[in-house]
Amino acid sequence: MTALERELVSLAATLDWPEEPDVVAPVSARIAAPLPQRRPRRRLALALALAVAALVATLAVPPARTAIFDWLGIGRARITIVDELPSLDPVPGLEILGDRVTLAQARSRAGFPYAPPPDGEPAPDEVRVAPGMRVAFLWRDGDRVRLLVTQFPGSAADDPALVKKLVGSGTSVEELEVDGDRAVWLEGGPHVVLFVGPDGSIREDNGWLAGNTLLVARDGVTVRVEGDVSRSDAVRLVRAMRG
Amino acid sequence: MHQRIAFRVALVAAGDRGDAEEAVQDGFVKAHRALGRFRSEAPFRPWLLRIVANEAKNRRRAAGRRAALVLQAAATSGDAAPSPEAAAVADERRAQLLDGLARLDERDRDVLVHRFLLELGEEETAAALGVRRGTVKSRTSRALSRLRELVGEEASA
Repeated sequence: MTALERELVSLAATLDWPEEPDVVAPVSARIAAPLPQRRPRRRLALALALAVAALVATLAVPPARTAIFDWLGIGRARITIVDELPSLDPVPGLEILGDRVTLAQARSRAGFPYAPPPDGEPAPDEVRVAPGMRVAFLWRDGDRVRLLVTQFPGSAADDPALVKKLVGSGTSVEELEVDGDRAVWLEGGPHVVLFVGPDGSIREDNGWLAGNTLLVARDGVTVRVEGDVSRSDAVRLVRAMRG
Repeated sequence: MHQRIAFRVALVAAGDRGDAEEAVQDGFVKAHRALGRFRSEAPFRPWLLRIVANEAKNRRRAAGRRAALVLQAAATSGDAAPSPEAAAVADERRAQLLDGLARLDERDRDVLVHRFLLELGEEETAAALGVRRGTVKSRTSRALSRLRELVGEEASA
């Protein structure tokens, strides 16, 4: 970089940009207005999912309900109710969760402070890490994943990297607390997970249709438990994950 | 999460705050409606910035405004400089750089503003300006030479 380029870079830091207006509300309201006819194709369904991920705004819901969804957004997860779920393969490759590592390797590679596997439970069958983004513990039942615990760094509401949960109308969404930390329990219907990278690119990740899910925002990390678990089991698992 | 950068890109392209705000709104709504045509493997942000920048440029043209630099640098605070004299020198230099940018022709200025002041990468700059990435590279180096002719370069390494 030349001296002039460096000067321009430091000039950027001193610029007096006007505060950006909040466009989420007007955009949400306009998006919520009825669209001319929607064809129920997979492509469109996925597009709807991406729209939710991209706009931070909520999708196809009256603005009055937006506040409720915002309120439900915990940690890095956002919960949004959509009319139509993206249809995705229920069992995508697990490599989307990150590289397979040992527990010891996870410590050096995760790049953020995450909770250890739950005390008093069998050790996870697999540990996967996407450095700086995700640590996943998996318990298997043969080929099937019966329990998945994922942790994401960050809990600031304006964090650019969001985990999007799209909740179909058949899913119940319940807000609760786990030892004083905000939590949400999703039960009864399919929902889908999409990841948005810090650079704004959408990691399609194919998502997976999760079972019941508990999300807890704790110590700057979002913990997600999903699989064939009851609410009380999920809460117990998260409680047992203390360093 | 893309709101801030989208607004800044729109502000640079529209040269007016009100138009920039409308451009962001319309751009976001259009992006939402066009998502079916978006290739999901492509990075999202450049695509969105492209739509917003086009909205903003259209508004500037419709209003009959010429493209101009609308940015200002904040004055150096006393804490940030070793002395009042140094602060004054820094402020003066920044004003000189902004003036130099303002005097460049539109295409040269655009590429430097996007790359350095909006801190966009080549791909996002190319998207926002509606040109190819190679064009961004060549224009950047040409624009830097022209800016150097106008404002010189600090002697310090």
